[in-house]
Amino acid sequence: MKILKKNQLDTLWERLARNAELYLPTQKGDQSGFFSYKTLKPEKDTLMLDALNVYLSPKNIVLPQTEMMYSFTHQGQEINLEEVYEDPTPRIIFGLRSCDVKSIDRLDTVFFTRGFVDEYYRSRRENTLLILNACYHPGPNCFCEAMGLSPRESESADIILHDAGEEGYIWVANTEKGRELTGNIEDILEEKEISYPQPRPFTREVDYTGVAEKLKDMFSHPIWHPLSDPCINCGICTYVCPNCYCFDIQVKTRGEEGYRYRCWDSCMYGEYTMMAGGHNPRETGMERFRNRFLHKLEFFTERYGEPLCTGCGRCIAVCPTGINIIEIMEKAKGVEPSA
Amino acid sequence: MHKNSSENPLVPQIVEVVKIIDETPDVKTFYVRDESGVPFNVMPGQLAMVSMLPIGEGMFSVSWQEEQDHLEFAIKSVGLMTSEIHRIEVGQKLGVRGPYGNGFPVEKCKGKDMLFIGGGIGLAPLRSFIKYCFKHREDYGKIQIIYGSRSYADLCFKEELFELWPREKDSETFVTIDKPEEGWEGNVGFVPAYLEQLNPDPANKIAVICGPPIMIKFVLQSLEKMGYQDEQIITTLEMRMKCGIGKCGRCNIGSEYICLDGPVFDLAQLRQLPPEW
Repeated sequence: MKILKKNQLDTLWERLARNAELYLPTQKGDQSGFFSYKTLKPEKDTLMLDALNVYLSPKNIVLPQTEMMYSFTHQGQEINLEEVYEDPTPRIIFGLRSCDVKSIDRLDTVFFTRGFVDEYYRSRRENTLLILNACYHPGPNCFCEAMGLSPRESESADIILHDAGEEGYIWVANTEKGRELTGNIEDILEEKEISYPQPRPFTREVDYTGVAEKLKDMFSHPIWHPLSDPCINCGICTYVCPNCYCFDIQVKTRGEEGYRYRCWDSCMYGEYTMMAGGHNPRETGMERFRNRFLHKLEFFTERYGEPLCTGCGRCIAVCPTGINIIEIMEKAKGVEPSA
Repeated sequence: MHKNSSENPLVPQIVEVVKIIDETPDVKTFYVRDESGVPFNVMPGQLAMVSMLPIGEGMFSVSWQEEQDHLEFAIKSVGLMTSEIHRIEVGQKLGVRGPYGNGFPVEKCKGKDMLFIGGGIGLAPLRSFIKYCFKHREDYGKIQIIYGSRSYADLCFKEELFELWPREKDSETFVTIDKPEEGWEGNVGFVPAYLEQLNPDPANKIAVICGPPIMIKFVLQSLEKMGYQDEQIITTLEMRMKCGIGKCGRCNIGSEYICLDGPVFDLAQLRQLPPEW
């Protein structure tokens, strides 16, 4: 098997960053997420290869928080569309976890299927290579297995790393793209037979089985009121969620020039569904809360066959009022069927 | 890094406004086309995104018939973008992208008598289907149109309502306004009450409804009372939309996206959705 010694990491990153934008899990000040290797300051920033999880998911790499769509000029009645921005820069995300790989899978489902292909997403995603860091020690909020994925395997990861401690990482090329990249850096890898690490059990017991079916009849259930009561609709759960993909389209105009851009949006905000004329089908915080959790746990499952939650635990860690998606699943399951 | 792509479904095509019709004090119809004619073909009930490029985009019902070299949008002034578009003049360039959504089930309705029930600007999507039925006259049975608005001035498409449609064979057009008005000799009252008074027989009929939510709600009750089955009742839904291609998230009702799976649903389908419509 191929082994990447840990003292070779710097060499590997330096090589990978020559032809691609390389992203590593990093702590920068109070924030942690996947940041570009080129922007790392060794004296200030800390690599977070072992973290479960860094606060910000890598979704911004394939779906940037703000991205230009096209620019235009206007003068009098005339309009000219100037440029359409699609961004095919090669990218490598190093050290992401199985939950985040799976969430990119789900973004693929949304942006590539059902009649339309999102070209902005496609131009980024097709040039992005994923290097998964397999999880052997699930974190305190982790429940990925309950959401139907394996913490150590993934069809969509191009390369899978298994951390064997002092022996280094077992390096497994998992796709054609992964094998090609492996061929380019093979001189850094060693050939050696070592044993895979022993996985530790999950610390949280979660069971999603039957939740989608149960929620199907619970839209009008009074339980949504007490469940949503603590929620202040701040939207932080949607920003840290690796699966949340909703976006807004806005315009910036200055004089005769302007551009249209899209940016992350959040179903937690009233404006999200506010129509011209003032009608808002999800006017209250409860309605928005209910839509968010039903979308994750029922609607998405109904539409695409899998839930829109990969058990990364970020929303549990960051919610200022202690809302916990695991408890919501448990409480939904506890509701009497007749209710 | 930058390239032009005409295949990108989120990038509009540029069209010119070639005609503007004042329908009511707050509704105008805009005819748009490019050098070659229509930028795309549409079926009745489909949607298209209209861009005032420096200001914003809005999703509207779009009307087009085979012989037309332009698309038509009837737009009511209610918000930022719609009030701006009411200020433009012929010659203005706009962006359009589409078509989006499923449109009316024109094939499934073949051989049926058609009952169209509209209120206010809700006549805009119905009108494309009504015109389609008149154009393919032999495919459809009797055509009845019930339409109401607040006042005579607020009635859209007056020439069609009072001149063209009443002349079509085997068709009836009934118009009502909310309150009595000097010079108005037609019916006075709300659409649901007028519908019950006219009491059209549900046999072999499809009812197509579009109007303000409150009108739709009461019309559905009336139709139910009159013996219409859920499968005989078709309506179109509205939600805020940004992308039009089922990606941006906001126009969902349950697991359905109104921009992609709708906007047209029959009542049997709607009853499967959470009661958020």
